This record gives sequence, C-alpha cells and structure tokens, in this order.
Amino acid sequence: MSSAALPSSLSDRLSYWRLVALLAAATLAMAVLSLAVGYARLDLFAALGDWLAGRQSLPALVLVELRLPRAILGALVGFSLGLAGAAMQGLLRNPLAEPGIVGISSAAAFGAVTMFYSGFAGAFALALPLGGIAGALLAVLLLFALNGRGAGTMTLILAGVAINSFAGAMTSLALNLAPNPYAALEIVFWLMGSLADRSLIHVWLVLPLMLVGWALLLSCAPALDGLTLGEDTARSLGFDLTWLRMRLIGGAALAVGSAVAVTGAIGFVGLVVPHLLRPLVGHKPGRLLLVSGFGGAILLLAADTALRLMPIRPELKLGVVTALIGAPFLFSLIQRLRREA
Amino acid sequence: MRRAALALGLWLAMAGGLVLADDVSAKPQRIVSLNMCTDELVLRLASPKHIASVTWLSQDPRNANMAARALTIPANHGLVEEVLAHKPDLVIAGAYTTRATVALLKRVGVAVREFGVPGNLAEMRQQIRDMANLLGEQQNGEELIAGIDARLAALAARPRPAQPRAIVLRPNGFTTGRGSLVDEILTAAGLANLAAKLGIDNYGQIALETVALGKADILILNTTPDGPPSLAHEILHHPVLARLGDRLKLVALPSKLWTCAGPAVIDAIELLLDAAAPTSAGKRP
Repeated sequence: MSSAALPSSLSDRLSYWRLVALLAAATLAMAVLSLAVGYARLDLFAALGDWLAGRQSLPALVLVELRLPRAILGALVGFSLGLAGAAMQGLLRNPLAEPGIVGISSAAAFGAVTMFYSGFAGAFALALPLGGIAGALLAVLLLFALNGRGAGTMTLILAGVAINSFAGAMTSLALNLAPNPYAALEIVFWLMGSLADRSLIHVWLVLPLMLVGWALLLSCAPALDGLTLGEDTARSLGFDLTWLRMRLIGGAALAVGSAVAVTGAIGFVGLVVPHLLRPLVGHKPGRLLLVSGFGGAILLLAADTALRLMPIRPELKLGVVTALIGAPFLFSLIQRLRREA
Repeated sequence: MRRAALALGLWLAMAGGLVLADDVSAKPQRIVSLNMCTDELVLRLASPKHIASVTWLSQDPRNANMAARALTIPANHGLVEEVLAHKPDLVIAGAYTTRATVALLKRVGVAVREFGVPGNLAEMRQQIRDMANLLGEQQNGEELIAGIDARLAALAARPRPAQPRAIVLRPNGFTTGRGSLVDEILTAAGLANLAAKLGIDNYGQIALETVALGKADILILNTTPDGPPSLAHEILHHPVLARLGDRLKLVALPSKLWTCAGPAVIDAIELLLDAAAPTSAGKRP
C-alpha cells in the first residue's frame, strides 16, 4: 500500500526509524553488559586497552577469545530468531508461527547433529551450519507444503507438533548411535541451546550465512505489508508472491539453520519478541522485521547475562531461560486465539 | 511393582539354572564384571579362562587399558539377563554404576561384590589387595602392588622442579580438586593442583575464564586421542587454550591413564614428571 500521500507518513516513518535506532542502541548496550559479566574477575578497560595496543595479555585473551564470541553469537542468534519469527508470522498471518514451535529449530538441530557426530564437521567445518540449514530448509518446505497459503492455527500447530516430535526423536536416535559416552548428555545442548564456551571460529562460520539469510528476510518487508490486504490485492500491487515465499523460506532456513548449528535450538525468542513489538510498529508486518531482529538480540543477550549471574552451576541452558520467559506468552496467545475463534 | 520384579528375577534365576551361591569359593570360575574399572583389575589379576564377561566399554582401546585381553572375552552392557546367561559364581560391580542390575542380582541370590572409587594411592593398593583376595589370586595381587611401588620409588628419586602450578581440564569443562586420586597423582608428580587451591572438592566444573586467568604453569588437557566427535571434548580444542600455549605448558594426558585406579596411574605420574621437567619447559617463566 502506497502511503506516501498521507500527511502522517513522514512523522510515522521518523518514529519508526527512531524505534529502530533505540533498539539498536539497546542491543549494543546489552552486548557490552554481556562482555562485562563473566565467571572470573576481569578489568574490562585494561583488557580492552591491552587488546587495542596489540598486547597479548591474559585479560585481553579472555575478552577476545571467550567473552566476545559469546556476546556476538548471542546478538547474531537472537537477531536471526527474532527476524525469522516476525517474517514467518507475516507470511502465514499467524502469531504462532515461530521457528521453535513449528519445528524448524529442532529440524535444524537434527541436521547439525548428523553432521557433527558423523565426524563430517570435524573434516569440513562448514558442514555443521550447512547441515543445520538443510534441516531447517526441509522443515520450512514441509511446513509450507502442509499449510498452503494463509495457515489456519490448527494445521500450523499440528504440523509443528509433527515436525518437532519427529526431529526430536531423530536427534535422540542419532545421539544414541553416536559412539561417544557423552552423547546422551549432549542432547540437552541441542534441544535447549547454550552460548557457553563458543569461540570466534563459530562466529566466522555462521556470520556470512546469517547475513545472506537476514538480507533475504528483510527484502520481504514491502511484500509482507502488501500481503496484509489479501493475496489478490498484493498481487495487483505488483508483488510476486511465489518469489516472496521462496525468499522467505530460504532466508528463514539460512538464519535459523546456521544459528541452531552453533548454539542448539533456543525456543520462544521468535514468539515473544514480535508479539511485544507489534503494537509499536502499528501492526505492520514489514516494519516488524528489523525491530524484531534487534528485539531478539536484546532478549537473548539479557537471558544469557542473567543465567551467568544466577548462582546455579553448571549454568542453565539458554533455552530453559527463554522458555521461562516465553511459555507464559504462549499461554496468553492461545487464550486470545481461543477468544477470537 | 517390587514383587513383580522379584518374581521376574526368581524366574530368570530358575530359567538360567543358576546355582544360588551364598559363599564364594576360593577361586571363582565364572566371573562377570559390570564396571570398566573393576574390569581392568579382574583382567589384570584373574586368568582369562575364569572371566565369563566384562563390559563393552573395556573393549575400546581408546578408553580402556586392557582392551586387547577384553576383546577375547564376551562383553556385557550391565543388563541382568546378560549377566544371568553367563551363570556367574561371582559378579563384581562398581559402587555407583548399574545400580538396578546389582539390586536385582542380589535379590535372586547371586554373589555380588561392589568396589568403590579409591581417593588416593593407599586406597588403590588396598583395592587391588581386596580384589586379589576375592579372586583367590593373592600372589598376582602382591606382584602387581610390588611393581607399582617399585616404579613409584624410582619416580620419587627423580629431580623435580619447585612445585609448578597445574590445573586439569577434562571434557565438559570439569576439573579435579582436593580429595581425589588425580590430586594425589599431581602431588606425586611434584605439581601443585590449582583447582584444589581454588576450593574445588573432588570433581567440579570450572569456567574457561578461570582457567585462563588462573596463572597456572601447566595445563593438563584430559583428552581421548582419536575419540569420536563430541561437544564434551570441544572445550579442550577451544582456541583460547592454543593461545594460552604461548605462556604456559599444555600437556595432553589420555583419560584412560587415570580414569581407573590401577598401574596406569603410574604412567600418568611419569608423563607429568616428564612434562614438568625443567629441561623440557623452556617456555615456562
């Protein structure tokens, strides 16, 4: 819908970009907070000074090799999950379309697990994110094939339950067959997710793939806005809906698949964040994309910082914390959908 | 439920034609071991023809020290039915593993003996002696202990540096502190265990940050060479550890040398003594 003629358009657009800037600044602040919180006492400024001066001091090493990857991955994975959630909800026009709930994350975990425990990822590092992306892609394709255009809540959830339980069972099977005594314990990582002891290698491994996924998803914004008027109107406005679906499917698979491959499946981020931010962007699905990305990054960084501050060791898995925050949202959403039905 | 389990056990016992042995004869003829560490002692002390079964874990040369001999003996997975099929006259189990199996075996009257985890070298000697008595192989036991003591004495005579600080990093980010056999192995190798100083008892998780900032001289990485891929071991390949290699000494110590209390721990002490030797530690300040 072309809204250029409306007088409120300029101030509207201005307030949108102000919101984006605000969320981006908050993401940066959360990332800095995440850097400052850790298990050992670290003089952040001294460490930063050493690093900038190129001195390989111990504090600089801890900052760059341990805390930085954790903060960066938290932001990247949160952004991917929030963005993918908002985009899928826009396309399927259903607030329950979230990578975790509809099974994309668990399918990605299965793909990554297959690559990791078969030893492929050891020989060829990129196999890990590619496995995750392949798993995610299969799940998204299956989901869209089952739902067709405009998903009813019933089909969406049933498809999600089916994909989730099947991928979860296959993950367990793969780990049971893995010839390694820790495999049974590691299923918790793949199903709940964690940022603990990830390295910069993981960041470089997934960053390019994620960026491509983000670009694909963000390019869907105008078409998603058009789609709110119905498919026929959107088509008459010149949006190619098949091309839109392909971009969205590919983008979601790239973003979620590579995220899950390095941190495991972290649920609820793509559900909670778009739900909270939707009123702030005037319920426009196109505008929800970028703000949901930043919102997801903030939520994940906050959850990861909180679990390190909690006096629970070994630390909680990230998915446990996001589930504690997200499950009540899911219940309230179900309640609302019931009332509307 | 309990009664059903008992009935099942009794039925299995009868079906297996089991001799309900209350006392263990001088030299058990059909020994079944249900724990990787008791496996090792049984394999070292008893004659292979008296061993009916050991665990499948002991057949993997990456994890177990006696894998070559274990491969000639049928394996079990700690399941009651497997054990009863061997008609054992002695079942040896670990105090913390296969609890359900041990409980059921005791109910149907199988002679089961449980062995704990030695916390130091003295307890290790005692455990070898107990095992040798149980198996009726007293002479083998005394020979094994004498061999250990002779090697320990030889190692004690070697020159050693002034207590370099060491920390152990195991899969999943665990370390070993006070009151463990590993702590005593470090002490015997002339090392000061940093984890014990940090207040970690026995076995606890440690953050990589703490390891990096801990000012250790030696970092002992508890690896399994050529092991299958696992997240647990990924932490031992974290790039920060390679970067730390510039300022401290990284020592790779295969887990199987000290997973179980046996003669292999002397190999661990020797490996650590070699690593800490002043001549080879050029990088250490």
